[in-house]
Amino acid sequence: MTQKRSVAMTRYAEYNCAIRYCLENGLGVTCILQPELTARTMELGTQNSPDFVCTPFKTTLGSMIEALEVGANTLIMVQGSCKLGYYGELQERILRDMGYQFDFINLAEYNTGKKKDYIKAIKRINPDVNMAKVAVAALEAVKMVEYVDEITGTLYKNRGFARNKAEFDRAYRRFLSDMYAASSKADIEEGYKRVKQAFASAEVCKPTHPLRVGIVGEFYTAMDEFSNLQVERKLSDLGVEVYRWMTLSNRTLHYAGENNLQVKIKDYANFTMGPTSTANIWAAKNYAERGFDGIVHIKSANCTPEIDVMAALQNLSEDYKIPVLYLTFDAQTSDVGLMTRIEAFYDMLSMRKKVLV
Amino acid sequence: MGCEVVLSKATTQATLTAGSAIALDEACLSLKIYLGHVQSLIGQCTYILIPRISNLGKDRELCPRFEALYDVTRDTFRHSEQKFLTYDVDVKKGKTEETAFIALGVSLGATHKDSKKAYSAALKDAEQLWKERVKQQNLLLGKDGMHILIAAHSYVIEDPFMGKPITTYLTKQGAIPLRADVGIREDALKSSRALSPTCPWELNREIIGGIRMYKNKVDGIILLSAFPCGTDAMVNELLLRELSGIPMLNLVLDGQSGTAGLETRLESFLDIIRFRKELVL
Repeated sequence: MTQKRSVAMTRYAEYNCAIRYCLENGLGVTCILQPELTARTMELGTQNSPDFVCTPFKTTLGSMIEALEVGANTLIMVQGSCKLGYYGELQERILRDMGYQFDFINLAEYNTGKKKDYIKAIKRINPDVNMAKVAVAALEAVKMVEYVDEITGTLYKNRGFARNKAEFDRAYRRFLSDMYAASSKADIEEGYKRVKQAFASAEVCKPTHPLRVGIVGEFYTAMDEFSNLQVERKLSDLGVEVYRWMTLSNRTLHYAGENNLQVKIKDYANFTMGPTSTANIWAAKNYAERGFDGIVHIKSANCTPEIDVMAALQNLSEDYKIPVLYLTFDAQTSDVGLMTRIEAFYDMLSMRKKVLV
Repeated sequence: MGCEVVLSKATTQATLTAGSAIALDEACLSLKIYLGHVQSLIGQCTYILIPRISNLGKDRELCPRFEALYDVTRDTFRHSEQKFLTYDVDVKKGKTEETAFIALGVSLGATHKDSKKAYSAALKDAEQLWKERVKQQNLLLGKDGMHILIAAHSYVIEDPFMGKPITTYLTKQGAIPLRADVGIREDALKSSRALSPTCPWELNREIIGGIRMYKNKVDGIILLSAFPCGTDAMVNELLLRELSGIPMLNLVLDGQSGTAGLETRLESFLDIIRFRKELVL
């Protein structure tokens, strides 16, 4: 490849800031940030995808098209243990059939069981790469992911009770743009410190027993605001303390491991049912035991493992007498119907709480 | 091993109706039918055996539903008194089919040795049966006529309610239906890599490999799947894009009871192949 590499990865919640940081600071290539996900992304993805594939396939395909439109010449696709493991191959084929020209780095091809094969993928992106630099940038990017998860968590736990919600939103947006612009470790730390201060100085009046809702769900849709039509924001608008265990850092960096989590949920599942099933059933049980008022289960249409998780969650809901709202998201971009369901769920929870307390 | 075996009866519309009533709305047709079968066995036996198969090795995964089947069934029938049994095949975690079946035998009170013997005997029978099937298919392939290759999971194509009406109809119309998944499995798995290098699913790889092996010997291909099969949704899309020069029909079964629509599509597909053959001859 003689042309200079402009690398892009599909949009994924707010994690593209860390991907950008790693690519530019570590691998020394230009990272293309395509536009944020919009109804147009969804339309592009849906038009060119098979009908009943799970929705993130369509979203990520649309986002890849938008990356190519703004000048990316290299696309990276991750691999995973469900249908995600096959996304790359099929998406590449679809994009080539559409006529796009690009270099495609499909990490599924490097998933040979040997860790050093991933180094081959890195070398392919930039043959003159300095591995020490990559390692340092990767560590700093990991830190950034942890900060994004922590700050997003803090935001939705407090935003619902802020005297001025806009103050929270402004600080959060500033934090994200700091992360997207960061070019050194100091930048990351400074952005993090700034948002912490802003959050601490914002006025919050939380009741002693606020309504608490825990969110569980599938790896892409539960984390990505566009894909779940801002469920967390909508709940916090109504004055709910929103918790979400399922984040990139919790599921990958701080994960306790399938075998030992499985022990805690053996009444509902003896075996792993798919990539995030064990974690989700465990997280839901944990919320129930901690006396949460409700659980929201988020998944994309046709997500096989999460459909199966619902069978377990129904029993859990019965055992702990905790209401669960099941939400399935497809290519729909209007949120009116969702709002009605969330409001009804909120009304039910708050009436229930008044009776119980 | 001295156990009395009770089998559920052949699938009918009633099986699907019963299964649909207890399964989650979004479950696939195959799972709904499966739960219908389990329902019909409740109270009929001491244990109901539900397999749990995660993978047969690297890049030899089964659809996550096979991983979840035992737990989903147990969760669904929690309020019945029924007891369930399982065997856990997860080669990546060191649980082969053999160790899984031996563990099953031991849990039923048999000795390790007897369980192993029973497994070996069953394996031998199964292999013999499979060889016989491959032989039958090769005989059909040698016969004169219009050969139609059906690419579908065995539990779809062999089901009397889902796949059977299709093979029966094809035979009635004078065509010879063949199965993409019947062949020498090792060869099919290896061959699938050339068409789809990263496909992680065992059953789909067998079908892809089968298509490659039979493609030049048949007149048309039917991609048959049960709504909304996730692995097929992706793999069939790739096959439709990748294969050319042969008529293909993408059929998705969704549990409709009438067959008129299905027959119209099959009939026009056969017509296309006939016209094409006449043109070539």
